[in-house]
Order: sequence, then C-alpha cells, then structure tokens
Amino acid sequence: MFESFVEGIGLALRFDTFIYISVGLFLGMFVGALPGFTTLMAMAILLPVSFFLDPLLGIPFLIGVYKGGIYGGSIPAILISMPGTGAAVATTFDGPALTKKGKARKALEIALFSSVTGDLTSDIITIALIGPIAVVALMMGPPELAAVLFLALIVISATSSGVFVKGLLMLALGLFFAMIGQDPIGALSRFSFGITEIESGIPLLPMLIGVFALPEIFIGIERKASQIISSASLKITGARLTWAEFKSCGRTIARSTMIGTSIGMIPGVGQVVAAFMGYAAAKNASPHPERFGKGELEGVAAAEAANNAVNGPTLVPLLTLGIPGDNLTVILVGAFIAQGMRPGPLLMEEQGSLVFAILIAMVLANILFLFIGYFCIPFFAKIVTIRKSFLLPLTLVFAFAGTWVFRGQPFDLAVLVFFGAFGYIAKKLHFDVTPMAMGFILGPILEYSFGQTVTLAQGNMLNYMFIERPVTAVIILGTPVLTYLLWRRSTRLRNEVAARSTDEETA
Amino acid sequence: MDPSPEIADSAAPQRQFNFNTVAAVVFVAGAIILYLLIPTQIDKPLIMLGASQSNLSPELFPQMVAASFLILGGWLFLKSFSLDQRNELRDLDREAITNVGITLVVMAAYVYLMVNLGFVLGSAIMIAVLSTYYGNRNYVLTAVVSIFVPMLIFFLFRRVLLTELPPFPIDIYPLTHWSLI
Repeated sequence: MFESFVEGIGLALRFDTFIYISVGLFLGMFVGALPGFTTLMAMAILLPVSFFLDPLLGIPFLIGVYKGGIYGGSIPAILISMPGTGAAVATTFDGPALTKKGKARKALEIALFSSVTGDLTSDIITIALIGPIAVVALMMGPPELAAVLFLALIVISATSSGVFVKGLLMLALGLFFAMIGQDPIGALSRFSFGITEIESGIPLLPMLIGVFALPEIFIGIERKASQIISSASLKITGARLTWAEFKSCGRTIARSTMIGTSIGMIPGVGQVVAAFMGYAAAKNASPHPERFGKGELEGVAAAEAANNAVNGPTLVPLLTLGIPGDNLTVILVGAFIAQGMRPGPLLMEEQGSLVFAILIAMVLANILFLFIGYFCIPFFAKIVTIRKSFLLPLTLVFAFAGTWVFRGQPFDLAVLVFFGAFGYIAKKLHFDVTPMAMGFILGPILEYSFGQTVTLAQGNMLNYMFIERPVTAVIILGTPVLTYLLWRRSTRLRNEVAARSTDEETA
Repeated sequence: MDPSPEIADSAAPQRQFNFNTVAAVVFVAGAIILYLLIPTQIDKPLIMLGASQSNLSPELFPQMVAASFLILGGWLFLKSFSLDQRNELRDLDREAITNVGITLVVMAAYVYLMVNLGFVLGSAIMIAVLSTYYGNRNYVLTAVVSIFVPMLIFFLFRRVLLTELPPFPIDIYPLTHWSLI
C-alpha cells in the first residue's frame, strides 16, 4: 500500500494535472456563483470532458469542479443572500449581514480560508483512512463483492431524499434500464426490441446528463429570467481579513471540519446537513450566541468549513466499497467507470497508485483553490449578474455537445432529452433519481458478481454463502441493520436541518 | 418505517387516491408487462453437450426486478394513502408549462438541426431562439454569443479533446474545410 502511495505522488505531480484541476476549480466556482445553477449540474455537464482525458487529468478536473462549486455557492450567499448551491444556505445566516455592515471582503475571505482549511484537512484524513479500509476490502471475492454491491444499492436508496420505498422503486427502475442491451455474463440480447441503437445498452453519459443536468435547466426556465441584481450590490467593500480574526475562528473551523469529515463518511447526508450542523455547533459553543445571525464571522467560517470538509470523506465509502455518498459522487462513479476504474474493494488492488494519485491531486486542488479563490473573488462576484437568458441555452449546447461526442449517434441526443424530461417529472413527484442512476451503473457489476458466485457455489448457494464465506453472511445479515441505522440517522439529520433552517429564518 | 420529512408533516393523512397511488399502480402494471415480455425479449442461452454455458439464467435478474416492481409497487400503494406529498406538476402554472413545453420543442428541433445543419449552425439558431424567448432583446449580443460560443465549443471538443461534433454541411466541399477551426 505504501508503494502505491509513493507511486501515486509521482503520478500526480504533473504540470497538466495542475492545469486541469485549475480549470475545473475555475469552472466549478463560476457555476457555483450563479444562483440557480448547481454543482451537480456543472459536474453532469462537464462529465464528458473527463471521458476524453487521461484518468489522472479527467478525474482531478471533475474533483476541481466539485470543490470549486461547493465554495462558489457562498459568494452570492454572502453578497446578495442568494445561495448559489444548497450547501451555502447556512452561509446566508451571517454572510449578508456582514455585507450590510460593510464587511463583505472579510466574509468572502473567511469563507475561502475556512473552506480550504476544512477541505484540506478532510482530504488528509481521507488519505490516512483509505489505506487500512482498502486492506480489509482486498480480502473480498465475488460473493463478498456481490453482497457489498447489494448493500450499497440498498443504503443509497435508504439515504436518498424522500420516502424509502420510492427510493427502492427508483433503484429497481435503474436495474431495469441496466438490463436493456446484453446480459453481462453470456452477452445475450435483452429487451432491445429490435432497436439497433440499444443493442449494446442505454448509453451511460446521456442518461447521467439527462437525469442530473436537464431537470435543473427546466426548473430554471419555469420563470423567464429577469435581471434583478444590480451591479452596485455586488461591490466587495471593507478591509481585508486579519490574521487575528482568522485565528479567532480557528476553534470553530477545527470543530466544523471534524463534523464535516464525519458526515462525509455517512452515505446520503451531504454538505447541506454538514453546514447546518457546523453552524449550530459553533453557535452553541460560542460565548456570544446572540451575535450569530447578525453578522458573525464565526458563523460563516463554521458553515463553510463544514460543507467543504464533506468533499474528501465522501470518497472513502466510494473508493473502498463502491458506495457513493451523494448524487455528486454518483457523477464521479460515472467518470471512474468510463475510465475503466470500477469503484469498490478491488480498485485499490488493481489501480492503487492511480487512486492515491487522485487523492493527492485532491490535496493539490486545495492549494490551487486557495490561490484561484483569493485572486478571482471580485470576478466571481460579477458573475452573479450574467443573464440567465443566455446561460440556459448555452448550458443546453454544452449538454448536447457532450452527449454527441460520447458515441456520435443522434439516438443519444434523444436519450438525453428523454431522461431530462423523466428527471424533471421525477423531481416534481418526489422520486429521487440518485438510486436509479446507481442501479443503472452498478446493476451489471452486481449481476456479474452474482453469476460468478452461483458458479463458485456449484449448486449449493446457502452452504457456500453462509458457511464457506462467513464475511458474505455477515454483510448480508448486516444489510437490514445497517440500512435501518443509516436511514434513521440521515432522516433525523435532515429533519433537524429542516427545523433549524425554519428557526433561523424566523429569527 | 418512514419518519421522513414528508411523513413528519402529515398531520392529517390523505386517505384518498393521489399521485403516489397512481405511481404505485404504474409500477405494478410495469411488473406485469415485464413478466410478459421476459419470454420473448430475452435470448435463450446456448446449450452445449446438454448443459448451459452459464449457471445464471439471463432471465433471473429481470424476474427479480419484475418481482421488486410488484412488491414495492404494492408497498407504495398501501403507503400512498398516508403520505403527504405535493404533486408539484399540478402546481405549475400556465407560464411554467409553456416555458418548459417550448424548451422541450426547441430541444427536439435542436437534435434535428444539429444533425442536419451541423453543430455550429444548429446551436446558433437554438441559442438565438431560446435567448430571445427568455427575454433577451439585445440582438447584437445575441448574434455574437450565438455564433462565437458554439464555434469555441466546436474548437475545444475538436482540437483539445480530439473528438468529433457534427460538422457544417459545406464540409463536403474541399475549399471550405470546416476542420480549419
């Protein structure tokens, strides 16, 4: 494992990796700073770019978009009280109040420094944790892999937003879509209905862009865009943040980083919950809780350190067990699979150095994040005024171009539009598309592993799985328990956030 | 089992048919259709020397998915009466329906235009139409953005990512080779 780590350092330290991470960060911050445009949309739209790059460029590029997008959302949250992304909602409690006091620059800088500190620390913890977990994961064979994949799919359905049974139904739908084409064992045709274009299956990329990016566009165009933000309100005023002020937030940043890191490892909880938890913990621990909500630097630091600290640890369950923490990491799964890397227990064994290189690239991304964020804050503040009437058609152009280059088939564009409309309707009816995307991606791998298990069992499945493979038995028996615990925890956290959000807004 | 946010809000359960009930019925119907399709839509495995090449039938997973649709559809059907979720499609007013509908039509037309007129021209038309529809009235800016942004994306995909986008139709004439950009 240590050799892989050292090799990973060598692989990551490439000039072009730095360039692509920087571009990813810039684009992520750009989109994050646009109210109504989400990090998820940015990642889905830019996913095709990563397909045509070397894995060491493509995946760090997407990670840059991810990190930049989460931070970018804080800029309009602080300046005009419009969170660019959901993760920045907690930042609106103190950010705009600081702007009103003429301390916009301090607020933006503490948001940046807290984000970078939280993100960097959590990435280092991720690297330290991933090795030992991967060593355990390496002991897995096809039956254990099948059991883990089954667990992953159930957990992601249980922790998705909304009702558990609806998550499971969407998972089953994703598994059905994955079956269209060929079966993964004998390559026999299934449900192709004589349509040549789907004989090799529904294409992954148009489906991902369709369900994750297009619904956001449809929601954005429900109301015609109007230019309601004046440039005058976006002036970054006031003095710079001092070292003493940053130091005074140190304890809060450290606490929020730990909260974000712990939440990042729980699938399905994500940045929004982390930001609210970090904010609440800072308020509770403060000797002046009455100042929170009225323009307290610590309030911004708490929310931003916590939401960015989620970014690294969400990769721990993804890379070691194949369980994505949220819909953003589902997009990363798509990128990994397109690059021939299958997230899960075997990934560290098969491509350990590459995994470490990607993790080290994440650490590098934080350093670049600091510089790009610091020097580009005034530019990103202006982005808020860009006309939506142009941005939405341009986003469509990028989505269509990215879909076309995947296979060069007009049919894929139809798939994109179909899944876009499907995703929009699903969103309106409270069906989360994340379990569906996961079922679609992991379904064939699950079926293949299960097929291998059936072959290895030689006709006696129960004996093989429960006597000869005790780890498989533990995973299978533990699935309902773990699912219930994670479901209860994520639901409780979401309920707490909803209640706290209402309280803060009322206050 | 669901004390989710939606359930927490449900002070007075609806006890009537709602969109979740309809969705449940659709999934149950999907399960039945899937069961009926399995025998005709899945190729049979080759039998060599009296034995199948694989121990796992290609029909097993589809059958499991069909069973999942049936069981989970039934579960949702029962649960739907106690769920308090809003059908947000019903909340859409005429403006929202018109905007989404027109965008879908423009997207369908864009597929046709992109394939037949090429990426740059098809995209330019789409951007001009949609941005004007969304309220932009600065036509000089529209012309500049509609032409130059697709050209830039075309260049990026072709030259940087080394991929192909539908070229301009005049590409077939050697003197105006579009790949120059």
